[in-house]
Amino acid sequence: MSPDLADALTEICGPDAVIVDRDRLLAYESDGLTAYRHRPGAVVLPRTTSQVRRAVLAVARHGLAVVPRGAGTGLSGGAVALDGAVVLGTARMNRILEIDAPNRRAVVQPGVVNADLSAALRPYGLHYAPDPSSQSACTLGGNVGENSGGPHCLKHGVTSRHVTGLEIVLSDGSVPRLGGAGGEAELGYDLVGVVVGSEGCFGVVTEIEVGLLPLPEGVRTLLGIFDRIEDAARAVSEIVGVGLLPAAMEIIDGPTIRAVEESVFAAGYPIDAGAALVIEFDGVDAGLDEESARAAGICDRMGAREVRRARSEEERAALWKGRKKAFGAMGRIAPDLLVQDATVPRTALPSVLRGIAEIAARYRLSVANVFHAGDGNLHPNIVFDRRNREESGRVERASAEIMRLCVGAGGTITGEHGVGLDKRRYMELVCGPAELKAMRGVRQVFDPAGTMNPGKVLPDAPGEGDDQGAAQGGPGARRSVGGGRARGVESLLELLPAGQTLVGEEALEWLGGSAAEAVVFPESAEEVAALVRRAAESSAPLLPAGSGSRLGWGGAWPSGVGGVVVSTRRIASLVHYEPADLTLTAAAGMRWRDLDETLRAEAQWLPLETPGLWSGTVGGALARGGAGPLRSRYGAVRDSVLGLEVVTGTGEVLRLGGRVVKNVAGFDLVRLFTGSYGTLGIVTQASMRLFPRPEVDLTLCFEGGRERMLAGAAALRTNLLPVAAAELRDRAVAGREGRTALAVRVLGGAAEAEDVRARAEATVGTEPVDVLLGKESESFHRRATEVAPEPLRSAAGARRGDSASNRLAEGIKGLFDPHRILPRRP
Amino acid sequence: MKLSEDGLARALAEQDDALANCVHCGFCLPACPTYRRLGDEADSPRGRLYLMRAIVEGRLDAGSDAFETHISRCLGCRACEPACPAGVEYGRLLELARQVGGSVRPPPHISRLLLATFGTKWASRLAMLGARLLRASRIPDLLTSAVSRARTRPGEESAIEPEPHSARQRSTARWGSLWLAFAMVSASAPPRRLFAKVRRRQTVSDAAAAVDLGRSRPRGTPTADDRPTVGVLAGCVQAGLFSRVNAATERVLNANGYRALRVRAQGCCGALHAHGGDLGRARALARRHIAAFEQAGVDFVASNASGCGAAMADYGSLLADDDAMAESACDFAGRVRDVSQLLAERGGRAGAPLPLRVTYDPPCHLLHAQGVAEAPLAVLQSIPELEVVPLADAAECCGGAGIYGLANPELGGWIGADKVHSALKTGAEAVVTGNPGCMMQIGAGLALAGSRIRTVHLVEMLDESYRLGGVYGDTRGLCAG
Repeated sequence: MSPDLADALTEICGPDAVIVDRDRLLAYESDGLTAYRHRPGAVVLPRTTSQVRRAVLAVARHGLAVVPRGAGTGLSGGAVALDGAVVLGTARMNRILEIDAPNRRAVVQPGVVNADLSAALRPYGLHYAPDPSSQSACTLGGNVGENSGGPHCLKHGVTSRHVTGLEIVLSDGSVPRLGGAGGEAELGYDLVGVVVGSEGCFGVVTEIEVGLLPLPEGVRTLLGIFDRIEDAARAVSEIVGVGLLPAAMEIIDGPTIRAVEESVFAAGYPIDAGAALVIEFDGVDAGLDEESARAAGICDRMGAREVRRARSEEERAALWKGRKKAFGAMGRIAPDLLVQDATVPRTALPSVLRGIAEIAARYRLSVANVFHAGDGNLHPNIVFDRRNREESGRVERASAEIMRLCVGAGGTITGEHGVGLDKRRYMELVCGPAELKAMRGVRQVFDPAGTMNPGKVLPDAPGEGDDQGAAQGGPGARRSVGGGRARGVESLLELLPAGQTLVGEEALEWLGGSAAEAVVFPESAEEVAALVRRAAESSAPLLPAGSGSRLGWGGAWPSGVGGVVVSTRRIASLVHYEPADLTLTAAAGMRWRDLDETLRAEAQWLPLETPGLWSGTVGGALARGGAGPLRSRYGAVRDSVLGLEVVTGTGEVLRLGGRVVKNVAGFDLVRLFTGSYGTLGIVTQASMRLFPRPEVDLTLCFEGGRERMLAGAAALRTNLLPVAAAELRDRAVAGREGRTALAVRVLGGAAEAEDVRARAEATVGTEPVDVLLGKESESFHRRATEVAPEPLRSAAGARRGDSASNRLAEGIKGLFDPHRILPRRP
Repeated sequence: MKLSEDGLARALAEQDDALANCVHCGFCLPACPTYRRLGDEADSPRGRLYLMRAIVEGRLDAGSDAFETHISRCLGCRACEPACPAGVEYGRLLELARQVGGSVRPPPHISRLLLATFGTKWASRLAMLGARLLRASRIPDLLTSAVSRARTRPGEESAIEPEPHSARQRSTARWGSLWLAFAMVSASAPPRRLFAKVRRRQTVSDAAAAVDLGRSRPRGTPTADDRPTVGVLAGCVQAGLFSRVNAATERVLNANGYRALRVRAQGCCGALHAHGGDLGRARALARRHIAAFEQAGVDFVASNASGCGAAMADYGSLLADDDAMAESACDFAGRVRDVSQLLAERGGRAGAPLPLRVTYDPPCHLLHAQGVAEAPLAVLQSIPELEVVPLADAAECCGGAGIYGLANPELGGWIGADKVHSALKTGAEAVVTGNPGCMMQIGAGLALAGSRIRTVHLVEMLDESYRLGGVYGDTRGLCAG
């Protein structure tokens, strides 16, 4: 640590904000995972974005790296500084900058503690949904870095679903503002989505805009006591299987129960139980009793010894307290603890738990399990004593085996704790060389200097030269593929049998008049990749498409003539569907209508309701991204995509993400491709998160003067009424000019829907002129998506990204489409 | 480590297992007033435990600046203990750490002077006599209001400086320590004006009704002979500046089915010494104290000072290694109660209405160290017409923390200013608390901020209600209105 740098930092942040004394730096050696100890070169504690920016530049000038750190509660060694790097602590950036209750959004500095934000929102009847177990201490900045989960993410989704805008300081001192204002105007790439979960490797997040949810008006909490943990796990699958969606389902195993009960947070669990299952339902009060009674019945059937209900807020708090403080309570069992964080498909839980027990027995270790069962997110805690070298070795080997077991079961290595230092060596279990290279490339776009939290997340590159090439892209980088100078479009057509290509009149007919030289229908990702590689050689522009129903959208038609449309329509199979996991994997060319029929048979759905959805394909829906009117309840397209198979503009096939609902293994590139209008690659397959189809789907059609209807819609919003959507439309039907229609969609169980319907009518203050039920309601909204205008065009007036964020988007475009054969950025 | 032979360092080393209990989860960070303000993890419980561990591991010198700075900056409020899921006994470890640190680097003069004064009976009495004379002279009152006028610019509620770090601010803080001492003496005066206001508000019929209430016997009051006996802790500061609170404690206990006894031979309980790391003197004081109460043979030991109460409740572990005393120390500790606990358990006797709006600030050593949260509120709620409004961040320390406020005027002043700010926002007419240190710290802070809000001991409040209600068979209070 040079005195120059210390002086510079002192100049910027003040004398009390810079720590260079070696002894004082001891406290920053570790985060929540004490297995890693690295003393930083210095710690700096800025208060403002401008101080962060100047501090980052000063550190860069001295050739050191920066490690952003919140409260240091992380469990993957992500917030420790390697090689004398400078820790940039956000503890003093703890101001809530804005609470915009009507629009359900808040803007905070990164050092705001998660629980403090929800406490500040309570008077508005709102809350911030993600609730990591460390929420009383962890910061929003840390949550963004790790894409944190929490017990209630089963229903409400993890951090990335709730972060709508970011301000980030990059290593070159630029400060792009990404997203923002509720994420309504979505132009360009989802840079917010890829920064969430980037573990501080992209920059220092200095401002966070989050979406807020109304506080649930009712909560029911159950506790099932089981003799065997497998029975508890089966109950979890069964509850989801019958179409219930609790806010949370958590399993606490026997050893953990005993640790908790001995701690100050004793929650009154029986200490001889094999497992306890906490189930919580929240939402509209009406109907919750029925739902929790059904869940209790399932617990009984699966062999629960008893099922308790929290009768008061105190009892409920006690149940949760024991669960949330379980990790710390483990400290009572042994000096050291290795917490794992693997996620598996929910239905694999019983077999994986059995497998973990076998591994533990084989290595003579004691393993305690406390985990988010509803998400299949396991937290096996291996109890050991680091001072015993031999035992530590066994822990290491058992750990690796558990990881492999979970990945083998269709899972991933980390669901919410992040990779950090700890799981870097397991990254290759879930990512191939191409995926790792892509992640390195994206990181270089944000941090070309490589000085943001280096040495984390990604394993060391096999040869740095490759990355440079990929990052810089540029024509010629991949010229060696194929061989021989290609001859434009014909050379592409040669790759496929005649039955898979259309040219001339036939092509024009399929295209409905749009100009293109040919349409090709590859039948596999490999065929797509071959086409892309050939196109790169011949510089023939490609236009990715699904069914071709919205070809002109996105304004992305390639410049010049000679373009070829690549339709994924013949890659249309249902790859994998396990209803009890609430996930599905489909090929890109599957028609959305067919997907919906498949889901309907299992009483599930994926109600994205984006413009153009119903006449198109899965791939088309993902390429367009965006959100429909049900966003506040079911999220946007980007929130539904768990994994993608995509062919990039370099002809590489990337398999990103997975089919588990929580996955933070590596950077979230899935977000970049979702909504990118095919400008970065061609999606060939996607895994998506599903929801139980509600028992009741009805639409109340109100009609009246414009002012009155506007007031009605506003009242629905301010009353925080859980209506799924309220849409306004001016009627142009003859004889009804000047009248405005307000369509309010009510979804839920029978009792819930009845209650909400009555309250919605009272709120709007008039009787509906029509009530559409079931399929009528569905098709009403389906028609609406068909006539909806192109979102990008209608959002043309919305603000565009600043120059720094444009530069980032351009860098990403260059990374994945260096030969510029895919459509331009919208 | 050059201290490896040192017995005191060994004492800390023996706590290795207790330190290992800390899993570094960080749940204690937001509970810590110093971390919340400074944002430095070395100023958090987790960070301080980590430094202690580094001493044990031989990686840190007990005489280092880092250890001295961060250990001495701890308030010792123990708000981290309820937040700790691993049950780390932070308070105990802190005392040991201070002992270890103090053995190589003596604490500041002011701390040593204060501890020496309280540890010696005659010196303590002399100092308290001086303080009483000073208070009677009204000089502290005048100085306090002069300082507050100088500090408060028009239109501002409180002009207490935020985080002081410049040299100029440091010097103000040093002077602030002196003003604070005067303001504390001033704040220890009885709340005469407040109670006069109560009497003015009471109508005659109110009072008459109150007399009826007062005549009702408390629930299940046994006959005089088998009432549990309670030895009331006289204390040092309490006996010196708050003798009225001690007297009130005896009266309200007697009115609620206890028999309060005066235990003459008692001395200082040693709380300040233990918290400051002077464990040798703390043990000596504890032994003398236990013997005095043993001789008196009481059922309970009641404390109206939570720092003392917490220390006495910890005598079992303080004297665990003293073969001769360990048993009686545990027995004594088992009898210690905060006065509010005794009142909540058997009380509920109503007095006259006190039509006041107050807020309650729980002393750290009552709430965090002894885990007493409900009892004081129950006592307050038993007083008719007393409106208790919630205090924002009530669970946080007021910055007094024994002698901390005087020894660390900068940080203590900052923390105290926040408490004053919260109190002003409640619109309360008085801040009720259960510890003389907090009364003086918050009272001084309010006065220096130009506020006329008083701090009142919980027992004083109840006593006034009883006095006005004629519970003591004396209705002079009524005539005064």
